Amino acid sequence: MYAVSRYWLHCKMGDKDMLGRTRKRNRMVKQNAHIDNIRNDTNEPIPQTIGAVRSGLQEIFTGCSDFVLREIVCGKDSSIRMLVVYINGFVDKRVLNQDVVRPILDYFSNAKLQDKRNPIYEQLKECVVNNNDIKEAENMQQVMENIVSGEALLFIDGEDRALVIGVKAPQGRHVEEPDTEVSIRGAREGFVENLLTNTTLIRKRIKNPNLKLEIMQLGEQTKTDICICYIKGIANEEIVREVRERLKKIKTDAILDSGYIEQFISDSRLSLFPTVGNSEKCDKLAGKLLEGRVAIFCDGTPYVLTVPYLFIESIQVSEDYYDHAFFATFMRLLRLLALLVSNLLLGMYVALVGFHHTVIPFKLMITLAASRQGIPFSPITEAVLMIVAFELLREAGVRMPRPIGQALSIVGAIVLGEASVAAGISSNLMVIIVAITAVCSFVVPPLIRATMLIRFVFLAAANFLGFFGISFVFVAVFVHLCRLRSFGIPYMAPFSPLTASDFKDSLVVAPIWAMVTRPKILRQENTKGAAGVKRQEARLKR
Amino acid sequence: MEKARISSIQLFLLLTGFLYGSTVIINPALGAKNDAWLAIILGGVGGALLMGVYVSIALLNPSRTLVEILRDRSGKFVGNAVSILYIWYFVHLASLVFRNFGEFMVTVTFPETPMIIVIGIFAVILVYAVNSGVEVMGRLSELFMPVVPVVVLIISLSLITTRDFTAFLPVLENGMAPVLKAAFGFITFPFGETIAFLMLFPHLNQKGNLKKIAALSALFLVVLCLVIFMRDISVLGSGLMQQATFIPHLTSLLIPGLNVEPLVDINLLIGGGTKISVCIYAAVKALSQVSGIGDYRKLTTAITTFCVVLSIWVYENVLEMLSWAEKVWPYYSIPFQMVIPLILLFLSFKKRVKPSNVRNGS
Repeated sequence: MYAVSRYWLHCKMGDKDMLGRTRKRNRMVKQNAHIDNIRNDTNEPIPQTIGAVRSGLQEIFTGCSDFVLREIVCGKDSSIRMLVVYINGFVDKRVLNQDVVRPILDYFSNAKLQDKRNPIYEQLKECVVNNNDIKEAENMQQVMENIVSGEALLFIDGEDRALVIGVKAPQGRHVEEPDTEVSIRGAREGFVENLLTNTTLIRKRIKNPNLKLEIMQLGEQTKTDICICYIKGIANEEIVREVRERLKKIKTDAILDSGYIEQFISDSRLSLFPTVGNSEKCDKLAGKLLEGRVAIFCDGTPYVLTVPYLFIESIQVSEDYYDHAFFATFMRLLRLLALLVSNLLLGMYVALVGFHHTVIPFKLMITLAASRQGIPFSPITEAVLMIVAFELLREAGVRMPRPIGQALSIVGAIVLGEASVAAGISSNLMVIIVAITAVCSFVVPPLIRATMLIRFVFLAAANFLGFFGISFVFVAVFVHLCRLRSFGIPYMAPFSPLTASDFKDSLVVAPIWAMVTRPKILRQENTKGAAGVKRQEARLKR
Repeated sequence: MEKARISSIQLFLLLTGFLYGSTVIINPALGAKNDAWLAIILGGVGGALLMGVYVSIALLNPSRTLVEILRDRSGKFVGNAVSILYIWYFVHLASLVFRNFGEFMVTVTFPETPMIIVIGIFAVILVYAVNSGVEVMGRLSELFMPVVPVVVLIISLSLITTRDFTAFLPVLENGMAPVLKAAFGFITFPFGETIAFLMLFPHLNQKGNLKKIAALSALFLVVLCLVIFMRDISVLGSGLMQQATFIPHLTSLLIPGLNVEPLVDINLLIGGGTKISVCIYAAVKALSQVSGIGDYRKLTTAITTFCVVLSIWVYENVLEMLSWAEKVWPYYSIPFQMVIPLILLFLSFKKRVKPSNVRNGS
């Protein structure tokens, strides 16, 4: 009893801390949470009497209206007392009643069936409860964890152990086609919020015991389940180890989305370019695993992370492998072109108009001059106005409630496009250029964020130094890209370092029967993280 | 020693980019007028031999940089003193290329922009590249260098209709003397400067390929220069070619109905960028080894700033730059490019033949 009340005290203190403190002192709270956890690890035993368990749990869960506690009394002279504890809505009540409660009542009311030699606890575990998924909890810490993660717990009077019965009800939506990654050809199944469903979807595609799923929990408060998934023998062990280590290093209160993990484990945390990939599509993820990548599932989000993530992956689409190779190659090149255009076109236009009139062919020059006639703004002002308007429209399109969509598209197309030209605020050509930029930026979704910001840098550079400014920024971006590594793998592979055998799946897509080797770069390189390499360099220099 | 490794192809591209460097706009071989093609070939052969000397030095002293070789072979004091001279040489070279670049930009594209702005911004990016390490420089060369021959081809092919293929005749109008002089200039201008690569060779991951890489890049440069020369002279004619300040730029302006001027700029940016970054890297690496500073990155910004200032200060105007590059530079370079390396080669051989004697002697 003493132990329970101590436990309760900590919890309560923790709660109070959480409620009582402002955000400013968040760090203190975090520290406290950490201290609480350390105390909880002292493995306080489960009290033997049902009464003590009951009062202890009731105290801990005061104010939790979804907490259910049921005492079962059965056997001769009501001598056997048990306690079923679970959180309402989390467990499948029908299964709990049919597979757990009813067998217990039947068993102990029928004296003939009972096995007198065995203790009740063993009997329950081995031959009464119908459920297959049974574990044991040996201390209060485990008890608490299991209750809040949706298991039903069974306490027996006189035992300092408890049975953990897995009767979690399936939660969340069904498997459906993801909205963000649509494909014309290929599987329509997308991941859902439930971790178990997601891992099953992958297991369904790769029927192989070498597909390993290592589970761990992250987040001091949320205790979110994280699952590292890889194919043993294909994935590089070094990378798997690095992933494991980086995940273990994460110290945070909450993991609400895989995006949190992404930010913690990225090689270069400030880089605009993603070094951790994410996907909602099962077939895509299966492909990545088979190439030797490591996936990180996170409970509560349909976005599964893949590492290492290289630049070339942003223009790879799973359909490339299902289609004719020539067509796929063409699409790859088109995507690369779109990437360049969406970054450079606006800057190029400003540079051409501002600095390099001579480069423009004469006839085009006339058209251009005519379209710019009467525009009161400089090209850069015009460009910034239009592109900011576009970004606003895009953001509004994402955030607004769906039914308003049509109104927005009317405003966007007519008011901002046509009317601004008619009013003489922007030139026709600028509207076309912004439109092309916008269309191109949607072609390569993984780099949308990077493109959006770098575009402005190009624009500014073009305004100051024309093509030269653009070239400077271009070189600087490439220096950055060449510096980047994702889990030890150079970001720009296979172009630099040049890996000839990986060219089959880069700008060119070889037919699927010709892709006989796995990506070499994923296995060959030394896979120490950027930090590791730097440390080693520093040591060697000394 | 930094653990960075560059592959054969990366070194090849770095070398080619370095050789191509500012040869885009200033080519000493053109001093031979109509016979520049002969000067290019002769200079190429001589340059390849000179690079052979450097490669042999590198092979005789495996995984050692120039500074370490100098210290090993001529004692610590003399070695350090000569290394400091080399550091000066690399810094000077870097600032000359900076100036070439800035002068070209200011003359051709930005007549109203102060040169220091153009050079300064370029320097910022190069500091970023050099600080990222040899590996990144190698990878950058892999991404950018392939653009160079493509640009040359584009310009050459688009001029095919306006050519006079007999423009380079008559052969040897003024005898052999100017040709030999130009060839000598061509040896010292791009080829001899590769002495800076002695600071980079230790990073190569397959040492055996070194000779092949050097020979190939020399060959590549000769072919590229020949293509450019034949193009320029057949388009411009020898008279106009001698009057023009920046010949490839003028050529590119002659493409009918199309202006590809920025393409020449891009070529200069890539070549010049490679050359300056290798020079700065060599200088800071050497300086860090001489002074015993562990991390060369601490020095990059300072040295580059110095280069930028020096580049502004070193010439009065573009004509001085051009004539200096043609008349003074070859002789100024002789001790750095030929005398010291030959002595070094001799010392290295001597030690290899009789290792015990040399150790006793020193």
